[in-house]
Amino acid sequence: MRQRLTAHARPLGLLPLAGLTVVFVLPIVWMVTTSFQAGEKMFQLTTEWIPSVWHPENYPNAMGRAAFPLFFRNSVIVSAAVMLGNLVFCTLAGYGLAKYRFPGDRLLLLLILSTLMLPLEVTLVPTFLVVHKLGWVNSLQGIAGPLLIDAFGVFLMRQFILKIPTNYLEAARIDGAGELRILWKIVLPQCRPALAVLALLAFRDSWDQFLWPLAVVSHDDYRTYPLGLVRFGEDYGNPPTEQMAIAVLATIPVFLLFLLLQRALRSGFGLSGLKG
Amino acid sequence: MLFFLVFKYGPMLWAMWLSFTTYDMLRAPRFVGLENYASLARDPIFIQALSNTLVYIAGSTVFITAVGLGLALAVNTRGRGRRLCLAGMFLTNIMPIVAVCLVWRFLLHPHGLVNQILSPLGVGRIDWLTDSATAMPAIIGVTVWRFAPYFMVVFLAGLLGIPREYYEAAAIDGAGMMRRFRSITLPLLMPVTFFVVVVAALLSARIFLMPFLITGGGPGGATRVLSMLIYETGFSYMKMGRAAAISVVLFAIAMVFTVVQMRLFTRSEEDAAA
Repeated sequence: MRQRLTAHARPLGLLPLAGLTVVFVLPIVWMVTTSFQAGEKMFQLTTEWIPSVWHPENYPNAMGRAAFPLFFRNSVIVSAAVMLGNLVFCTLAGYGLAKYRFPGDRLLLLLILSTLMLPLEVTLVPTFLVVHKLGWVNSLQGIAGPLLIDAFGVFLMRQFILKIPTNYLEAARIDGAGELRILWKIVLPQCRPALAVLALLAFRDSWDQFLWPLAVVSHDDYRTYPLGLVRFGEDYGNPPTEQMAIAVLATIPVFLLFLLLQRALRSGFGLSGLKG
Repeated sequence: MLFFLVFKYGPMLWAMWLSFTTYDMLRAPRFVGLENYASLARDPIFIQALSNTLVYIAGSTVFITAVGLGLALAVNTRGRGRRLCLAGMFLTNIMPIVAVCLVWRFLLHPHGLVNQILSPLGVGRIDWLTDSATAMPAIIGVTVWRFAPYFMVVFLAGLLGIPREYYEAAAIDGAGMMRRFRSITLPLLMPVTFFVVVVAALLSARIFLMPFLITGGGPGGATRVLSMLIYETGFSYMKMGRAAAISVVLFAIAMVFTVVQMRLFTRSEEDAAA
């Protein structure tokens, strides 16, 4: 019975799947080929999937038209800082909430969770006023500051750390290990999948930030690449092929991080179904 | 905790207070009571943005859930290439949203790829983004393209949790494929589905970038959503008080879903404890 089931599930199941995958991947392929395409080919009525002449010079040309090297550098600094901040603070907070009992711990968790649904878009104006008071307008720490902890990250770490048997921690404590040492030696090594998910999502989300840097930064020196790219795209004098080149470059860092973390992610993603 | 205080609750409470004032960031806030809300209720632009937001939330949520589930079912077969397809689809989730918007703006152009593919099917040339009837559906489509694969992974985790024996037993009892799907998969997947619906709704409630970058809220405000209106009111017109009032409205919408979600979390935790 079992054999018959799989035997006819295979051809039936895989064809639509391949079709669906094409639908989802096609725009990405289009982006990549277009970035190597000659400018005038863009306005043809049919798409040329493999460029007859390759134009890799679209990349340096695009980078040269605006301060993209600087924008990308800013983005990398901000996103790396946000990723590290999330890894450190979310782990600490998650550990505290998972393994310590103190009055009001439930309430604290609920309060933190409730901010999940208060994205920067909603609190944009007042958050801006706070950053303004701190004197961080027009600075990279102004962009990164409010992103350093995310309620989702705290929750993710807490859920994961809950599953680590408290006995391990007790045993280490009896052996005289300090709290930070316990966290470093016992808790962290077991959290790899969760840390991988957290790292990827934190990096990606801050890499994606557009509205917040737009609000905080008005000086070119501190712009991140999304601001540069959007402005680049609004100027219709810029060839679409070069816009695609920048779009490809913008995708690469997240993609690399994804590849790097892939193994740990595979076991971690079951958990992360919690993130919006 | 200090962090949450400074960057989350502080701003939230401040927003509530500001929403009762007029504030242009130059002079001190002046208390005006409910005037901001009253004038919003009379403002056709606000009403339009509010209804756009609701349409957008409903459309994205329904399609993200349906497509996510469909993809998960398609991936959940055995055979080669399955993992490759999974990774391929997940790529859309890795692409930066700014790049997504840029690419789709070209794809949805009257001469773009979408129309090229549709024209042999007898569909005339559609100017997706400048026609107020198609602009919103187009943006919802892009949203689904970007986020459905993520929820596919969530659904997949749920599907893998259903014991194989159930299907085998049903097959022996002579249940067909549709029957097995209706009687086993759907009911057992209910909690996951519910969860996806809530999270997708929240996600779309806060969306800003897609309409902002793809259509800029046009044509004629047909795709302007609340988060965009907050930005315009606050930062382009410097009406911080009024912008804060819109934030409070958006927050109230998000809150409805949040309460549902909290219920969900606490319930699943109690289940785990039991």
